[in-house]
Amino acid sequence: MDEVIKMEHISRYFVVGDSIVKALDDVSLSVERGEFLGIMGPSGSGKSTMMNLIGCLDTPTDGRILIGGEDTGSLSETELAYIRNRRIGFVFQQFNLLGKLNALDNVITPLLYSGMRVGERRDRAMQALERVGLKDRMKHKPNELSGGQKQRVAIARAIVTQPDIILADEPTGALDTTTGNQIMDLFRSLHQEGNTIVVVTHNDEIGLSCPRLIRIRDGKIEGGEA
Amino acid sequence: MFFENIKLAFKSMFSNKLRTFLSLLGIVIGVGSVVAILTLGASASGSITQSLESGGIDTISLTATPTAKNYDTFDEKLGQRLMANVEGIDTVIGINSTRVRIRNGKIIKNNSAYGVSSDYHTVNNYNVAEGQWFTAEDNIQRTQVVVLGASIAESLFPDGGAVGSSISLFRNQGSKSYTVIGVMEKKDASFTASYDDSLYIPYNTFTQRLQNMPYVGSYLIKVSDGYNAVTVSDNISAYLNLLVGSDSFFVFSQANLTEIASSITGTFGTFLAAIAGISLLVGGIGIMNIMLVSVAERTKEIGIRKALGASPKVIKGQFITEAVVLTMVGGVLGIVLGTGISYLVCKLVSWSFSVSISSYVISVGFSTFIGLFFGWYPAKKAARMDPIESLNYE
Ligand SMILES: Nc1ncnc2c1ncn2[C@@H]1O[C@H](COP(=O)(O)OP(=O)(O)OP(=O)(O)O)[C@@H](O)[C@H]1O
Ligand SMILES: [Mg+2]
Repeated sequence: MDEVIKMEHISRYFVVGDSIVKALDDVSLSVERGEFLGIMGPSGSGKSTMMNLIGCLDTPTDGRILIGGEDTGSLSETELAYIRNRRIGFVFQQFNLLGKLNALDNVITPLLYSGMRVGERRDRAMQALERVGLKDRMKHKPNELSGGQKQRVAIARAIVTQPDIILADEPTGALDTTTGNQIMDLFRSLHQEGNTIVVVTHNDEIGLSCPRLIRIRDGKIEGGEA
Repeated sequence: MFFENIKLAFKSMFSNKLRTFLSLLGIVIGVGSVVAILTLGASASGSITQSLESGGIDTISLTATPTAKNYDTFDEKLGQRLMANVEGIDTVIGINSTRVRIRNGKIIKNNSAYGVSSDYHTVNNYNVAEGQWFTAEDNIQRTQVVVLGASIAESLFPDGGAVGSSISLFRNQGSKSYTVIGVMEKKDASFTASYDDSLYIPYNTFTQRLQNMPYVGSYLIKVSDGYNAVTVSDNISAYLNLLVGSDSFFVFSQANLTEIASSITGTFGTFLAAIAGISLLVGGIGIMNIMLVSVAERTKEIGIRKALGASPKVIKGQFITEAVVLTMVGGVLGIVLGTGISYLVCKLVSWSFSVSISSYVISVGFSTFIGLFFGWYPAKKAARMDPIESLNYE
């Protein structure tokens, strides 16, 4: 058993005015290395909140999160940044590429933060772009790429650091069905290569195709602990 | 990482050129003023040293404005008395002058005639172009010879051939004939003498044949080597104050002028320093403002970078680098501006222009400091942003 993600009784409350929104309410979840986990649920059910917590972008109101066995609760901002950099690869619905940089520099960016040498990070970034089939577009700026291509660059950026976990929050949400399917195929083949992947989706077909699927409703995992 | 930050800084600078330029204006003016102060200072002191070396600065002129009571004091022996009582005097030459009418054939002119000693031209570094200056013997004999300044020679003898010719000088007693024995080279007018328009005759000839004067009109005093002309002229003033009272003479040296000039440069420098200080402060605040705007505009970018693993320190470094690159560009523009203005000013007042390398070093240092100081707060703000909030920022 090699748990890359372990959430123990996690709650995340937001205070909005006088009321408290329980975005996540006592959720426990564990994900093993090499798993492909799909997360579904209605809008506002807490899926993104969960992804942000796993990705160490947010801290829980209550409970414990372990990433690769390491308790993230006691970590400083700098140490959390280190985990995001080394262990997590994010893929967003809106791509979130840096508009002023070309595809190659976008993919290089996380490697800058790991302090890799210039030559090596270039090689690695080119390999990652080749892996997603965009080697010939590496000098293109994001606004010169199609939606699908942008998402491929984002995936290259997520895998370039060889993270423990790839987190994708509605990665096909901004794409048409065909392009979305191609992106999902890419995730599946990354999974084949041994990557751990967590994908949030609203698409039943995509959700059902995931080897493991959990559903979230009102901040809780349906059917209890997962 | 550092180079990437610099690259990024230039990218974001060029993405809004006008805004960048406007926000840099304060720094440009501030640094420009600093460079101008130091460059002009260096050029001015260079020019002063130059005029020290070229002579003229080691002479003092003493002009008598005697009252009936004390004009006996301003005689030919005053020179000896000054040399005996004031330290640092090499030579004293008595000078008298008057306006005369000069005639050569049909050409008539009105100019200044000077009665001077036989070493007047050497004391003044005033060179003979043609013929010769009169001798001590000419002075004793009161010979009627004359040496012409360059301009007057040309107007009296448009076809040349002045040396050896005779001209007539008219004064109260009527006209007398003088032989031209020399013509001088051109020499720029000083504050006490307009060389080219004057003519020169032996002192005794002047006082005994041309114009009877009860006293010596002025003295040209040469300062000994190693003595400061200003100090010597102060001492002469002190001595004469006791002797005749302060309202009977006027002492003046080129060195005084130099002092005045440097005090003017000093005032000008203080003024520029004030401008520099204010501009740099305003410029720094301008940088802080533009950096705050930049941080706010790039909230999303900051969120993305944090998600990719940029630590607060890294984000801070990125924005501080950007601020410093911005102020250094401002500094370089300021150096160009300051040097350009100094060059023009030097041309205008005919100082020799000399670049002040130290001002460039100071400017770059200053710009860096301002970038660090005023970029620190916006950068800290960026570093502290919440990753999710900034990621979701539209
Ligand atoms: N920063 C916040 N402040 C207040 N409430 C928040 C905040 N972030 C999320 N919420 C609330 O928490 C709940 C869960 O939000 P979350 O974004 O996780 O939903 P989701 O499942 O990702 O929805 P969707 O499918 O629409 O993306 C929502 O009710 C949302 O309004
Ligand atoms: Mg969501």
